[in-house]
Amino acid sequence: MSSWKNLLLRIGDKSHEYGTSTDFKDHIETCFSALRRELEHSEKDILDFLVQCVEQLPHKIPLYGTLVGLMNLENEDFARKVVENTQTNLQDALDSGNCNRIRILMRFLTVLMCSKVLQSSCLVVAFETLLSSAATTVDEEKGNPSWQACADFYITCILSCLPWGGAELVEQVPEEIERVMVGVEAYLSIRRHASDRGLSFFEDDDEAKNGLGEKDFLEDLWSRIQDLSNNGWKLDSVPRPHLSFEAQLVSGKSHEFGPISCPEQLHSPSTLSGITHGKQKHEAELKYPQRIRRLNIFPASKAEDLQPIDRFVVEEYLLDVLFFFNGCRKECAAFMVGLPVPFRYEYLMAETIFSQLLLLPQPPFRPMYYTLVIIDLCKALPGAFPAVVAGAVRALFEKIADLDMECRTRLILWFSHHLSNFQFIWPWEEWAYVLDLPKWAPQRVFVQEVLEREVRLSYWDKVKQSVENAPGLEELLPPKGGPNFRFSVDGDTERTEQHALSADLSNMVKGRATAREIISWIEESVFPLHGLEVTLKVVLQTFLDIGSKSFTHLITVLERYGQVIAKICPDQDKQVMLIAEVGYYWKNNAQMAAIAIDRMMGYRLISNLAIVRWVFSAENIEQFHTSDHPWEVLRNTVSKTYNRISDLRKEISSLQNGIVPTEEAATKAKAELEAAEAKLTLVDGEPVLGENPVKLSRLKLRAEKAKEEEVSIRESLEAKEALLARALDENEALFLALYKNFSNVLTERLPDASRAGTLSELKSVRADSMSVDLEESSAMEVDNENERQQKSQSNGGRTSSDGYNIGEKEQWCLSTLGYVKAFSRQYASEIWLYIEKLDVEVLTENVHPLFRKAVYCGLRRTIN
Amino acid sequence: MASLFKDPSKLSAYRDRRFLGSQEDFEHALQTSITVYVGNMSFYTTEEQVYELFSRAGEIKKIIMGLDKNTKTPCGFCFVLYYSRDDAEDAVKYISGTILDDRPIRVDFDWGFQEGRQWGRGRSGGQVRDEYRTDYDPARGGYGKLVQRELEAQRQLVDYGGGSLGSFPPVMPPQYGRHGRSHGHGGSYRRDYQRKRHRDDDGHGHETSKRTSDHESRRISDHDSRPEKNPRFRESGDSDDDEEDDRKQRS
Repeated sequence: MSSWKNLLLRIGDKSHEYGTSTDFKDHIETCFSALRRELEHSEKDILDFLVQCVEQLPHKIPLYGTLVGLMNLENEDFARKVVENTQTNLQDALDSGNCNRIRILMRFLTVLMCSKVLQSSCLVVAFETLLSSAATTVDEEKGNPSWQACADFYITCILSCLPWGGAELVEQVPEEIERVMVGVEAYLSIRRHASDRGLSFFEDDDEAKNGLGEKDFLEDLWSRIQDLSNNGWKLDSVPRPHLSFEAQLVSGKSHEFGPISCPEQLHSPSTLSGITHGKQKHEAELKYPQRIRRLNIFPASKAEDLQPIDRFVVEEYLLDVLFFFNGCRKECAAFMVGLPVPFRYEYLMAETIFSQLLLLPQPPFRPMYYTLVIIDLCKALPGAFPAVVAGAVRALFEKIADLDMECRTRLILWFSHHLSNFQFIWPWEEWAYVLDLPKWAPQRVFVQEVLEREVRLSYWDKVKQSVENAPGLEELLPPKGGPNFRFSVDGDTERTEQHALSADLSNMVKGRATAREIISWIEESVFPLHGLEVTLKVVLQTFLDIGSKSFTHLITVLERYGQVIAKICPDQDKQVMLIAEVGYYWKNNAQMAAIAIDRMMGYRLISNLAIVRWVFSAENIEQFHTSDHPWEVLRNTVSKTYNRISDLRKEISSLQNGIVPTEEAATKAKAELEAAEAKLTLVDGEPVLGENPVKLSRLKLRAEKAKEEEVSIRESLEAKEALLARALDENEALFLALYKNFSNVLTERLPDASRAGTLSELKSVRADSMSVDLEESSAMEVDNENERQQKSQSNGGRTSSDGYNIGEKEQWCLSTLGYVKAFSRQYASEIWLYIEKLDVEVLTENVHPLFRKAVYCGLRRTIN
Repeated sequence: MASLFKDPSKLSAYRDRRFLGSQEDFEHALQTSITVYVGNMSFYTTEEQVYELFSRAGEIKKIIMGLDKNTKTPCGFCFVLYYSRDDAEDAVKYISGTILDDRPIRVDFDWGFQEGRQWGRGRSGGQVRDEYRTDYDPARGGYGKLVQRELEAQRQLVDYGGGSLGSFPPVMPPQYGRHGRSHGHGGSYRRDYQRKRHRDDDGHGHETSKRTSDHESRRISDHDSRPEKNPRFRESGDSDDDEEDDRKQRS
């Protein structure tokens, strides 16, 4: 890379390009003199690269802006091109709804204004464009309020610019900026408060926040900006290098910035039905998602004491680095720890990363990315960061009973993976007390599930050794994991006839019998004599045993003998029996059970509906609140079904993209052929219709081939569309079955709605009245007022006197409702497609209000 | 992803000598591949451990353990096949360089599994890197094969008597039992890789090759004859940038 590029890239960093200097002014001067030399012959390269740097290293924007300001003094034309280029890019970003790009380019424009490259009035015009689009969107008559997410985003963009140039704007165009602020305030008064319902990390927040004065993201940002304004627009987190060059910069020519336009929102009649409004709102929120939800897990005494606006700016920096340096480990960690701010921010950094890892409905990247970032930061800041991470884990563990179910699952996966990268070292003795809690206490379940995942990533003895400082926790380790073969010949168990059958089958497999041979053996000598149940048991157990050695052994046996299984289990009833056999065989190894079920679904030996039925069998329902096993299987099933759909959608869209060019090619070839055929040529002195035969036949061939190609694409498109239609039907059936099952089990177990209409009421139903029997829902006394208040205050947390104070049945309901919400939220986009049917078949009037609430919450649907 | 620091077209610094085709073909294969190569694994890491870790990047289609061509036991590498390219990319991005079974593993795009590639290419049956290593790496069979042969020769000269190869560790590592776990791979399986398979047509009942054999007895005895029985210890001194010799450096 040429040296000016390195200088641009590394500006502001501690790097060898800039020697020992860490002064921004030095960096800018060094970089500027290098660029000035190159400008004449590599103007285009510089422009392109500079724009890339701006868009991907937004925390350095003030430095780049000042550089452009200095270049403006030398070469006005270059600066003009920077402005024009930025305008084009911004317009593209607005048109395509590229949120990060819009926000960052607006910030760049602000900084260009500070460096006198851009006229301040032009920036105000851009603000006003966004403002007026936002105001129109939320207008009931002229706009479409279901797209408020987009409007809120535009306003966020305006406010986000102010830390970078508020001071300059107020100085240069005080009246105009005041007008913008008044406009924002007016907007805030007509928009609706954006509720976090269904997306908050902690369950109690969902209830507490409702209607109370809690600020949403935009309201919060607005108050931070007002705070900044009251503080004379001074803040620590934004470097202002242009001030060092002010004397020079004032003489630069300020360029104009052409108008930008916001894409028009689909105008819709004000009579949007509830469902359509919900669907559109969901779509808008997907396209313009809220970037961050603050986690606030550290006590104020621990976290850095920052000004509200500084906290916002550092979050912006961190989120941008996380976004742009996904996949570049070294740079990501280096930029995260080297932000251009004069204060420490480890706690804020940890909180921000955890808030992304746990972000609902989903984080911008796979959760594993954040695992990697945390690992790298622990290595980059070995003295500071590991302790902060441990503090975050402790804080989350304390509140785990209120943590959203989806977040709990992510936390378990993250924590086990994190520990596996640090030799499984953790002060487990701190948590040894969970053994004294009932088996459904969320803290205990959390420890148990973390240990389970650790064992999967490592091995049993190793994990056992890692909890040596709290030896009691060994009790929470999963069983040691061997198979549980019904027809094992190892022990002293009596050998039955079934043992003999199993041995026969095993020998046939060893003797490489084909699936057909085994089927006829079964049809002739097993099924007629022993009946279905024995046949199914013997065949399944034996196959599972042969495939038990590894994942690959399992696949091999399923590929070879899947037909046999399909023959025995052609319908849902038998498939449920089949899954039960898998559960029996792998009762000591949840991972293998889950994998076997997953593969069988992959080979279409079992349907997703059969799996749902099995998950809701009595044996599994019992574990809903004490184990992740049934949920893991259910998650796999739904995600596999969903993956099939999304794969097909991708294939269809790529085929559709291919169809136009092939069509054109076919038409063109045909036209050429016809033109050639129409020509008159002389053959043997006689005029004949058609060009010379060689060329003609070549053209004919080409036209045929092009046509064939077009037809073949159309055919595969049709085939894929048919497959998609089938997959969508399957998905609809799956979700209906899932919700019906949820509704049934919950209705059976939830206390009457008059006593438990809200989650906190459910939590405060007396603990001990329940622990006796899961099946008995009656005979529960209503608490007296006093007790209830006491309990709802502790909200399910640990209390010193009586361990965990939520009863088994209530916990069962809480956990299950938590999963209802989690599934609804994760697949909301699909579920909205079937919402009408769901309303008719499941969410009927007499459905329990807590169940309805969980579904609505997950879908972010408003309850009328 | 940022394009500033990473050349997105440069997918792997390695060029497999066994790849028949031009450099462009090779690059195209890497760019579209749904297979990743995993290197620097412990010989004792199981498919299930790989599954747990790699399924966090996406749904896994297959895992193929790399095996020593003589002993048919794992020799420290594997291939993981995904259903989708995005998932394979995430595996490379997020898993490479992290720890599996106490070792920093390497994850790279692979040009696609073909029958035969599961075997180690070293003279002694394992990976080439395990021929020439001079360090003592108990999770990969102790010393490198060459050193082991030298040690053996010396021992025969002085006649120290029996004792298995490579069991000359500088320090005896603590042994944490891992009973009933270290069997598990090996054997030869029929794998139908050429056929592109989709999630929804994992059809069953393919004809299987005649090579699916009684690998179990062999595997167990193989294991018993291995130099290092249970070499678990906390820190492996292995570094991440160890040469993977199967894949020759391009330049």
